[in-house]
Amino acid sequence: VPWNWMHGRAGAKRLAPTSASREQLHAREGGVAIPHLVPLPLLGRSHRRETTASAAMAAAAAAAEPKTKYDRQLRIWGDQGQAALEKASICLLNCGPTGTEALKNLVLGGIGSVTVVDGSKVEQSDLGNNFLLDEGCLGQSRAKSICSFLQELNDAVKAKYVEESPATMIDTNPSFFSQFTVVLATQLPESSLLKLDSICRSANIVLVAARSYGLTGLVRVSIKEHCVIESKPDHSLDDLRLHNPWPELKQFAKSIDICDKDPVVHKHTPYIVILVRLAEKWADAHDGQLPSTRQEKREFKDLIRAHMLNVDEDNYKEAVESSYKVSVTPGISDEIRQIIDDSSSEVNFSSSDFWVLVASLKEFIANEGNGELPLEGTIPDMTSLTE
Amino acid sequence: MASAAAPASSEEAVKAAKVLMVGAGGIGCELLKTLALSGFSDIHVIDLDTIEVSNLNRQFLFRKSHVGQSKAHVARDAILKFRPNINIESHHANVKDAQFNVDFFKQFNVVLNGLDNLDARRHVNRLCLAAEVPLVESGTTGFLGQVTVHVKGKTECYECQPKPIPKSYPVCTITSTPSKFVHCIVWAKELLFAKLFGDKNQDNDLNVHSKDGSSSKLDVFERDVDEDLDQYAQRIYDHVFGYNIEVALENEETWKNRRRPNPVYIRDTLPEAVKQNGSSWDCSNDHEEPSAMASLGLTNPQEIWTLAENSRVLLEAFKLFFEKREKEIGNLVFDKDDQLAVEFVTAAANIRAHSFGIPLHSLFEAKGVAGNIVHAVATTNAIIAGLIVIEAIKVLQDDYKNYRMTYCLEHPTKKLLLMPVEPFEPNPSCYVCSETPLLLDVNTKVTKLKEVIDKIIKSKLGMNLPLVMIGSTLVFEDGDGLEEDEAANYALNLEKVLAELPAPVINGTKLTVEDFQQELSCSINIKHREEFDEEKEPDGMVLSGWSAPVEKQINSNGENKSAASSSSARATDDTVEDPSKPGMKRKLDELLETKENCDASSSAQVVEDDDDCTMLDGNPALIKKKRLQ
Repeated sequence: VPWNWMHGRAGAKRLAPTSASREQLHAREGGVAIPHLVPLPLLGRSHRRETTASAAMAAAAAAAEPKTKYDRQLRIWGDQGQAALEKASICLLNCGPTGTEALKNLVLGGIGSVTVVDGSKVEQSDLGNNFLLDEGCLGQSRAKSICSFLQELNDAVKAKYVEESPATMIDTNPSFFSQFTVVLATQLPESSLLKLDSICRSANIVLVAARSYGLTGLVRVSIKEHCVIESKPDHSLDDLRLHNPWPELKQFAKSIDICDKDPVVHKHTPYIVILVRLAEKWADAHDGQLPSTRQEKREFKDLIRAHMLNVDEDNYKEAVESSYKVSVTPGISDEIRQIIDDSSSEVNFSSSDFWVLVASLKEFIANEGNGELPLEGTIPDMTSLTE
Repeated sequence: MASAAAPASSEEAVKAAKVLMVGAGGIGCELLKTLALSGFSDIHVIDLDTIEVSNLNRQFLFRKSHVGQSKAHVARDAILKFRPNINIESHHANVKDAQFNVDFFKQFNVVLNGLDNLDARRHVNRLCLAAEVPLVESGTTGFLGQVTVHVKGKTECYECQPKPIPKSYPVCTITSTPSKFVHCIVWAKELLFAKLFGDKNQDNDLNVHSKDGSSSKLDVFERDVDEDLDQYAQRIYDHVFGYNIEVALENEETWKNRRRPNPVYIRDTLPEAVKQNGSSWDCSNDHEEPSAMASLGLTNPQEIWTLAENSRVLLEAFKLFFEKREKEIGNLVFDKDDQLAVEFVTAAANIRAHSFGIPLHSLFEAKGVAGNIVHAVATTNAIIAGLIVIEAIKVLQDDYKNYRMTYCLEHPTKKLLLMPVEPFEPNPSCYVCSETPLLLDVNTKVTKLKEVIDKIIKSKLGMNLPLVMIGSTLVFEDGDGLEEDEAANYALNLEKVLAELPAPVINGTKLTVEDFQQELSCSINIKHREEFDEEKEPDGMVLSGWSAPVEKQINSNGENKSAASSSSARATDDTVEDPSKPGMKRKLDELLETKENCDASSSAQVVEDDDDCTMLDGNPALIKKKRLQ
């Protein structure tokens, strides 16, 4: 579960890979040495044609295998997501059922490596309780047994173990953790978690703590500031500034007669224009204020409907659906305010790209933006005439 | 239900339970594991599939060495390794087989579905209703998932809310005016590939005529005697991408408001190929699967090829089919696991896309579209499996007040990842569980019985082996064990128009349709109508009779469009079909909008209104149908 949320949708939907990720993927192939493939991005097209057919086919087959195995998940997070998974190393503390279940998911997905830290031996109570243990493991190191089963699940993953109790590891060897990308701590008491958390924070490692009790449980992520960019957000908020149209938009709206009697023209007036004009009309009748209470919003919708000539006017339906956009509070939201007011927005040479962007945004808002964000610029689909 | 009184504790209920799992794939593996770990000890598993490499990223009971073996059997063996003392019976079979009849289903306390297709789900739903066994349904797509509970008489059955019909596209969009890549894929798959390599007797909408007088052939797709393979390939290329486009351009009306396509000819895309007669990019292709990509040295399925590369792939794939797989030509059906077929379809779709100004796609993407591949990951299946077992335990204890339909979302909404909702009461006009009669508008003078059976009874109503009666006259029966003369009689009836059947079907006639195995019986009232809208009612018949919720359609990009529903469900067999992904997302969106729209009269789109309501069980403002008491 942690991986999905941490990396979110960082994988692009268009799957044309960068040459960097292609290299990484090929370098990872379990032991098959195909030297001519690695520098592939450097070779021109003509060179590729000259390679012998059988080498090409072997290369295709070897490259195809992980692609086939991971095909269904590549369609979720793409090459880049997969590369990030394969670069990562996980440390699991305690491999009881909770930890095992988590590792199973990571290993199946092709995580780079897992290291299990668990000092216990397999006991009767573990059997039937953990699907990666069977009778033959009784008395043996639990960590070792789990690892050998995990290895079976995916031989591309490096599965290692340390026979040590996590609490002892935390107390005596904190530097052990710095080699990992993520530490997954299961069934640890709070005292150990507190110590572990400060170790991870100073080493800039992600800590995921999980506990389960019967039908309840918890997962908690402890991570330093982490930037996730939603490059293709599902729900884009059309930013049209209907509550405060800029001069050119106002002009454009004014140039259109929304009461044109021609039915074709009338039903093709873009809804944005309808809203700009009617919002203005409303404001004129309400002391310069735009609809804000639920009652007013309803009345505004009625006002829009009153302008319809016909039931089948899609543009007016669109206007009604988007009518709430004129009631947007001007200025920037609290969440954004919190970010730009953060001390990290005072940038210096060591600041991350994200904070540099924030600093620029802050300046924009204070100057050209006049208290508002830059306009996104995309125009949503709407019913209108071609011109 | 097998036991008379509800058992005292969940532990006892679990111990005593006999459970049927249908499906041993993504959900099935996780479910079997969870059932075993939860103490279930009497499990039957049915799955008709064998293990493939692409399963291995999530169906963790399987290993590489198991590829090709039965999922049901291997899953069983894997579980017995860590829980040797439980009883698992595995069936490598289709759940629609006759052996899984009502009596078979009756032996179970609960049925758990982990299926991947609507057809089987409906079938199981009907058997569970007939056997009066509760059903826990489920499904996943990527990070989305859901678990629903269906108990006869208490909750909706799986079919109380009609599921979306597979997405299909109007014929003209595919043959003349594609605007999306998926249209090009459907063209490449269903028209070009089918025409060249599929059943010759099938109707096909591709234009087969060449310029008037230039050829005496009826069908330009036929290879001339002794025609050189290269030449044949190039000739076909020019015909479909060049000539056919020119012909289409002649119709001005079509292009008045549309971008005009560009004809594409080999002499422009691959000038060197025209000069080289007979030499292909040769390579010793005697091992394994022939592949155009391999021959051409294209190794990355995620790369988007240029027009020239696509053209080379097309010609090479074309030739490889004739050179290496000649025997199959005439019988081939597109299969997403057939590498050469995928290469061919990708290349053809891309060239067509280029013509029409549609962005090109990589083989990887094209394969997903052409093969209707559903993205999938282990974690969602694990979550859903857990939820299935939780609901199953409630069912075993008859704890009906706590049954929940649970939706697992892609992104937390209002800080919730899982959204539990109370089930609805059965839909009184559901033809499956409430025996409401249906209405069929059809031209009885012109429509054959065969068409009604194929388009309505088998496909829309989902009956497997139907029986059709008019009054007391049996006009059709399907299945084994028919006498020769009976079978001959039915065959005759199939070809008769409705009005001329032994018991004539006219306006007002009532058909009784049954499927014994599903124990489903329903009546269809016939309404004779002569005029049908060619575009909106291409089948020439319209079935109606249950009150559908707002009908939403998903196209292959997963976009959501809602259309106000009429009470008729449209059969669209005349159009070129392209089944959509499972209907999970649609259901979720419906649910989310039910919660967010307090105003029942507002339109169906999700409105991001400041005044949205929080979802509470039993909130009277939200409930349109009666909730389970």
